[in-house]
Amino acid sequence: MLSERPVTPSTLSRKDLPWQVKWDIHTCTKCGRCTAVCPVNAIELGVFRKREIKTSMGLSAKPVNEFSTFYGIRQRTDPAYACIGCAMCNLVCPNNSIEPHREYDSTTLQFHNNRGGQSRARGGRRNSSESLLDQLKFIRISMLTDPALDAGRHEFEMRTLLGRVLSPEAQIKCHQENGWKPPVREIYPLVIGGMSFGALSPNMWEGLQMGVAYLNEEMNMPVRICTGEGGCPPRLLRSRFLKYVILQIASGYFGWDEIIHAIPEMKEDPCAIEIKYGQGAKPGDGGLLMWHKVNKLIAAIRGVPKGISLPSPPTHQTQYSIEESVAKMIQSMSMAWGFRVPVYPKISASSTSLAVLNNLVRNPFAAGLAIDGEDGGTGAAYNVSMNHMGHPIASNLRDCYKVLCLAGAQNEIPLIAGGGIGKNGNLAANAAALMMLGASMVQVGKYVMQAGAGCLGSEKDRCNVCNLGICPKGITSQDPRIYRRLDPEKVAERVVDFYLSFDTELRKVFAPLGRSTSLPIGMSDGLGISDKAAADRLDIKYVI
Amino acid sequence: MAKKIQCISGHDSGVRTDSRILEERIQLAVREGARKLEVDAVGQHGIGGRLWVSKEEPIYVTITGSPGQRIGSKGFPGTTIEVLDGVSDDVGWLNAGAEIIVHGNASNGACNAMAQGKVFVAGNIGARGMTMTKTNPRFEPPELWVLGSVGDYFAEFMAGGTAVVCGHEAQDSKNVLGYRPCVGMVGGRIFVRGPIDGFSQADSKMESIDDETWTWLTENLAAYLKKIRKTRLLKKLTRREEWQLIRAKTPFEKKGRVRRSISDFRANVWDAELGRGGLIGDLTDLDRSPIPLIVHGELRRSVPVWENRKYMAPCQSSCPTGMPVQERWRLVRDGLVDEAVDLALAYTPFPATVCGYLCPNLCMEGCTRQTGNMASVDITKLGREGHKSKAPKMPPLSGKRVAVIGGGPAGISIAWQIRMKGHEAVVYDMAETLGGKIASAIPDSRVPREVVEAEIERAAKVLPHVHLRQELKSREFEELKEEYEFVILAIGAQKPRMIPVPGHERITPALTFLQEVKKGRMKAGRKVVIIGAGNVGCDVATVAAGVGAEEITLIDIQEPASFGKERKEAEEVGARFKWPCFTKEVTEKGVLLQSGELLEADTVIMSIGDQPDVEFLPDTIALDRGHVVVNDDYQTTDAKVFAIGDIVRPGLLTHAIGHGRRAAEVIDDIFAGRRPRSDTREMIDYTRMTLEYFDPRVIEFSDMNQCAAECSSCGSCRDCYLCETICPQVAISRIELDNGGFERVVDPDKCIACGFCANSCPCGIWDMKQAAPIE
Repeated sequence: MLSERPVTPSTLSRKDLPWQVKWDIHTCTKCGRCTAVCPVNAIELGVFRKREIKTSMGLSAKPVNEFSTFYGIRQRTDPAYACIGCAMCNLVCPNNSIEPHREYDSTTLQFHNNRGGQSRARGGRRNSSESLLDQLKFIRISMLTDPALDAGRHEFEMRTLLGRVLSPEAQIKCHQENGWKPPVREIYPLVIGGMSFGALSPNMWEGLQMGVAYLNEEMNMPVRICTGEGGCPPRLLRSRFLKYVILQIASGYFGWDEIIHAIPEMKEDPCAIEIKYGQGAKPGDGGLLMWHKVNKLIAAIRGVPKGISLPSPPTHQTQYSIEESVAKMIQSMSMAWGFRVPVYPKISASSTSLAVLNNLVRNPFAAGLAIDGEDGGTGAAYNVSMNHMGHPIASNLRDCYKVLCLAGAQNEIPLIAGGGIGKNGNLAANAAALMMLGASMVQVGKYVMQAGAGCLGSEKDRCNVCNLGICPKGITSQDPRIYRRLDPEKVAERVVDFYLSFDTELRKVFAPLGRSTSLPIGMSDGLGISDKAAADRLDIKYVI
Repeated sequence: MAKKIQCISGHDSGVRTDSRILEERIQLAVREGARKLEVDAVGQHGIGGRLWVSKEEPIYVTITGSPGQRIGSKGFPGTTIEVLDGVSDDVGWLNAGAEIIVHGNASNGACNAMAQGKVFVAGNIGARGMTMTKTNPRFEPPELWVLGSVGDYFAEFMAGGTAVVCGHEAQDSKNVLGYRPCVGMVGGRIFVRGPIDGFSQADSKMESIDDETWTWLTENLAAYLKKIRKTRLLKKLTRREEWQLIRAKTPFEKKGRVRRSISDFRANVWDAELGRGGLIGDLTDLDRSPIPLIVHGELRRSVPVWENRKYMAPCQSSCPTGMPVQERWRLVRDGLVDEAVDLALAYTPFPATVCGYLCPNLCMEGCTRQTGNMASVDITKLGREGHKSKAPKMPPLSGKRVAVIGGGPAGISIAWQIRMKGHEAVVYDMAETLGGKIASAIPDSRVPREVVEAEIERAAKVLPHVHLRQELKSREFEELKEEYEFVILAIGAQKPRMIPVPGHERITPALTFLQEVKKGRMKAGRKVVIIGAGNVGCDVATVAAGVGAEEITLIDIQEPASFGKERKEAEEVGARFKWPCFTKEVTEKGVLLQSGELLEADTVIMSIGDQPDVEFLPDTIALDRGHVVVNDDYQTTDAKVFAIGDIVRPGLLTHAIGHGRRAAEVIDDIFAGRRPRSDTREMIDYTRMTLEYFDPRVIEFSDMNQCAAECSSCGSCRDCYLCETICPQVAISRIELDNGGFERVVDPDKCIACGFCANSCPCGIWDMKQAAPIE
């Protein structure tokens, strides 16, 4: 019967696994910390048998076998317990005796991540470290041709406009006729993109919000943060901090009754309303918060019973065309705050983005368009959606900006770019490049996870278990046993840190351009790339 | 010569002299000995600098007219330049020691990068004054004196020297230090008198003026005012309280902009606005304070649970009789061999006959050691001792009575169990003695006759036996039902199955053959064909070989299902197995196959199984293809009638014994007015045990002690202390219980949930259970 383990197509050895745990028998103290912390139980105490054959010299005595046992840390090979490479084992190891190691030749597991017919779903991002944004260079360095500016010494106007800016003619007409003037916010051009309360742990969410409030109130930086679709805690809705918040509404409409109830009690209007139609990381797909993550707290904030799965469908149920989506939704959301709050849609970058933009241009209530590129991150999606679906942000944004230029509306309807900004750590350079390609501001999420909370994810398929509620850093879990690893104050501090350093770096990029009085939005003559096709496509300089 | 003033004109006949020419003229004049020069400037660049000889012989340059940019540029020590009116940009640029007196205003960039020397300005200066200045330890630091105000961006990157801004009749009377002064300042000091609008706090700081510094300032102020011929202002400008001193911060003082701490912000801004508990303080009371990665108590994501005896060992679970095999080995380990042997009688009346000899030992097939490719612990050693066990003392009779029809293994099993539970079980059987097929049909070669007889006798002593003289009829069956509380059908399968081929009357049924031979009443012919090559067929072959058969052929319609000892023994007597063979006819010559082949035979025996004889049963007892239908408790469709053994379905002896044990439990429960219960424990998962503690090269066991030692005691704690030893946190301890037993407990305040206990336990007792959600 069970004399040997039956070998199935999915029976794997350690060699088949992309992440292999290296363990040092000589330095391990068997303290148990690594197995205690491993989020996926990929390692366990192993009991090993050791055999020694004692043979006397000259065969003078009968040889004997001597068996003994020893203990060590063993990696499990069942795909359900495959190591995810998070290296928490290494983090807690007192002797640096254990660490996961990525083996690029070990590819077997990727053919067995669909057992039971279940396609692989995960959190994270596209598993590709390539980045066109990283290739863009700022080639216009003013030394003598323009007043040379010093990033450290000179003052820069770092604010951008969110909202519909009337053309001079329309402005005059509006003034003369005492007409309605669309709301416009002056905000910092780096916005923390929508990540829901639910996808993120309470400590993470509070840390981000606190950091944003600090930047506004202590550092005088008008930073804004989007809620994502998961409602907004009632206290925040009724606080003055609401003006730093962009409320998101998406196809699940979670938490919106609480928001409506709070409207008459709000001290401040929110910064803006973002209508989410798509997400760059998983275009065409919706969200799903699994029932086991919907605990008492999440249920309260989202306004749902606890313990049920919460799907956000890929589409809004009551919208059937671009015209409807744009006109109906924007109008409804504008009306909620008496047309005092900018409302804009967010779409995943797509070959159809221009059609959306064209509709927005004709809609006087549209406050902007957020476009999210393929390199964005998500808490949960199918692997195939993440790795293979979506449109790069650079060319999509560029096309939109150029269309606005053709219409003469490039200063009137802001484009908000997102998706992969800072994916390799180059946040300011990527953001500056997108602004010079035409973005009025950028949105980041994944970078915030990494810089703000120490997310371990990478483009090498590391960790990526956001969807399972076992985030080793406590970022995407609803389990207090895990999210209490994250101190909201430390998150806030890191948010402040990276905003300040971003601010410095952005000035370092913009100063040599000779721009200090306004952001160089659309200043594409300052951009170059050593890829001819990319240069032609983006209509920037080809430099080698 | 030296006292003579040499005039140098900056223009020739109304045409402006080029800066290069004027410089040549000045240098030539100095080379030729001029030490006092008066230059009438027309916008020339850099006048008065680079007069190298001034270091030894002082040179005095007076500038009239309108000088150009960078007066005194690269000025040398000993050079004094006096400008009678204002100057253009960058006066004193890269000054290396000259003294420059400006009687008017100076425009932008005054003293930029000045390293030594002094610049005295009798008016205001423009933007970016005193920037990038230096201090060289070899020389006196540079000085800039301004009577009025300075322009914007004053003292950027200032690295040394002293600037004095007197604020007298300032151009900007509201801010004498201009917009954003001192950015990047790393050295030097600035005395300022009059209102200012801030300065770079990151780079510099305000400091009080001590007496020594004040003395320096007043003395030098007097000298400065004298040079600019405004001595009368001294009193006005030396009111100490009007002066402020700004100096560069040292690197140690530059901590960057001091940020409010986040915890301060959280307590006094965030929570103050949102309320106690912050963002979601109104929605939850959960403690959200930070915790470390390694945690104890309820913060552990999983907890070890000592699941002693929660699951059944695979051996017990595999045994249809339900024998607690691992418990018997524990008794052996504890030195209680007799108890281990005797324990079996609680489960079976035939521990030696069946466990020791006749059973294929499903317990051993199920043994966990098999999963590690190791030999199963050998139960037969323990089983064979069982015939010596004395029957336990039977409890007094309750008065409840059951009738058991059939005295074979099933019937004896249930009667034995019922008697042990204190009720009377009367066995009705056609045979003179109890035992059924065990006694009548199983060859002596398979089990010693004295073992069987001893065990049957042990049972017979306590079981009343009614010897039926004739087959039971339905009327008699009804009477039994009337007389007893329950009737148990344990008649087995006695009716041989036959295939209706022509000549079938020539065939001897296997059971008849075995029984007759055992009684010594039958022999086999020289050539024997056995139709049906299962284990009974094999027994027949072996027996036939002992009673005259020389050529034995077993045929089957498919590959024979026989296995184990029976098969091996048949092969040892030279039996041939042949398949697939489909019998067409049995003739006097032998067996004719459908293929046309004739298998010659003197004796033809059929062993394709036996069927129960159920003719006497009433219609109220449902049948399915010749077998009695029962529920999980072996109750038939007639609630008063139970059925066990082969009458229910063909099986092994251990199945029949197990049926009896279970049915007895159910009947006892009914007698006691309880809802019938059963041992619902599931079998322990094989993966929970750890076999690395056992020698994989053991293929045979020398004695019972070795068997006991090699048993992993699946599901039952061996009390080996391994978990206590291996726990890195010393969290596990052993507690003696009042009932003489023990348990192991985990201290939640020490345990970190590493799982070491669960992964190392040989018996699979510990399990890591996911902790209940906190919410």
